[in-house]
Amino acid sequence: MIFITNFFTRRGTALLATWRIWRDTLRFAARAILIAATPAAYNSATRTVVMKQIYFTVVQILPGFMLFAALLSYVLIQIVVTTAASYGLSEYALEVSMRLLVLEILPLITALFVALRSSSAINTEIALMKINGELLALESAGVDTMRLEFMPRVIGGMISVLVLTAFTSVIALVLAYLAVYGWQSWSLPDFSRIMGNVFQNTVLLGIFLKSLAFGLAVTIIPVAEGMATPRMLFMAPISVLRGMVRLFFLIMLIEVASLALKYI
Amino acid sequence: MPLRANLSALDNIALIPQYRSNQKYAEAADQAWALLVETGFQDMHAKRDPALSHSERFVTKLLRAVISKPAILLIDRPAMLLPEVHYPPFMFSMLERMTTYLDDCWIVDYQWNRALYDAHLDYPELDQAQP
Repeated sequence: MIFITNFFTRRGTALLATWRIWRDTLRFAARAILIAATPAAYNSATRTVVMKQIYFTVVQILPGFMLFAALLSYVLIQIVVTTAASYGLSEYALEVSMRLLVLEILPLITALFVALRSSSAINTEIALMKINGELLALESAGVDTMRLEFMPRVIGGMISVLVLTAFTSVIALVLAYLAVYGWQSWSLPDFSRIMGNVFQNTVLLGIFLKSLAFGLAVTIIPVAEGMATPRMLFMAPISVLRGMVRLFFLIMLIEVASLALKYI
Repeated sequence: MPLRANLSALDNIALIPQYRSNQKYAEAADQAWALLVETGFQDMHAKRDPALSHSERFVTKLLRAVISKPAILLIDRPAMLLPEVHYPPFMFSMLERMTTYLDDCWIVDYQWNRALYDAHLDYPELDQAQP
């Protein structure tokens, strides 16, 4: 009996701790979104910091990521086109490759790429700022850390995922056209008709919402995790590790939820 | 106050009037540039925090404090901020250039470092330094 009581006490404590972390993250997300949507939150300094954040999370990585996405898209399109042809299903190759790439793989790859590049950096930065007492120093000096430190990172991450997904999707469309029809333009009406069938308004809204959710996840989780770091230096890598695991879990959860909504 | 790692030294200094009084970026940057020129550190204007030396980081932080013309400036244990230079002459030369912006400046340092300030004893308040 004591064994069972202890087991449930320990599990219950762990469960409550996990619940508290997610509750604080959701609270922070709600606050960040609310402030980001308030025009009064933007003064000259906030605008400068947001612009810089967008530059570092979007513009700086654009060429390298586009090249990678183009290569990945080309290989996957070729696999789909060749496989479809071998089964005599060439007429479905374009639609299948676009559903696979633009609706599923590219948004997910973009979110994972931004998570690896920016989220880990954001988590480390915020955790160290917390440990070194810099967040406290800013607040003591009357600086609103949400407006100057956290919100620009959240906006930068969201715009980063949305813009990179949009750009890579356009590249995938162009590559798919070239792979199926070759270097000519007279098949554009056919291509447009098929794309019109694939990308209906509800589907486009779905991609937008999924990318938005990815964008929020890749910034909210690392910021919230960094803020929750205890003020001990050895906790910085632990905080980043925890943040990245939670982020990976959430990204996969969003992806599975979007698949379930679409296909089940 | 910590510097923002993704902003240049000039932008970090300009950020203060932008935040405090919603000054336009161009005006704030002009003001920051004038201060950098006054200290002779204008060459570092484009450097970001990781690329700054200790002295350059000290000057950036000093100018961030000075740009809002505070009533008093407190420098806590400057040796920790300037480990690479003989800091009293360096610090005093910087502060002397900032006299138009500063009313008063207090340096808090350990008593055993007092000998380092001997050359600057025309600053009588140095005697007040606490251990």
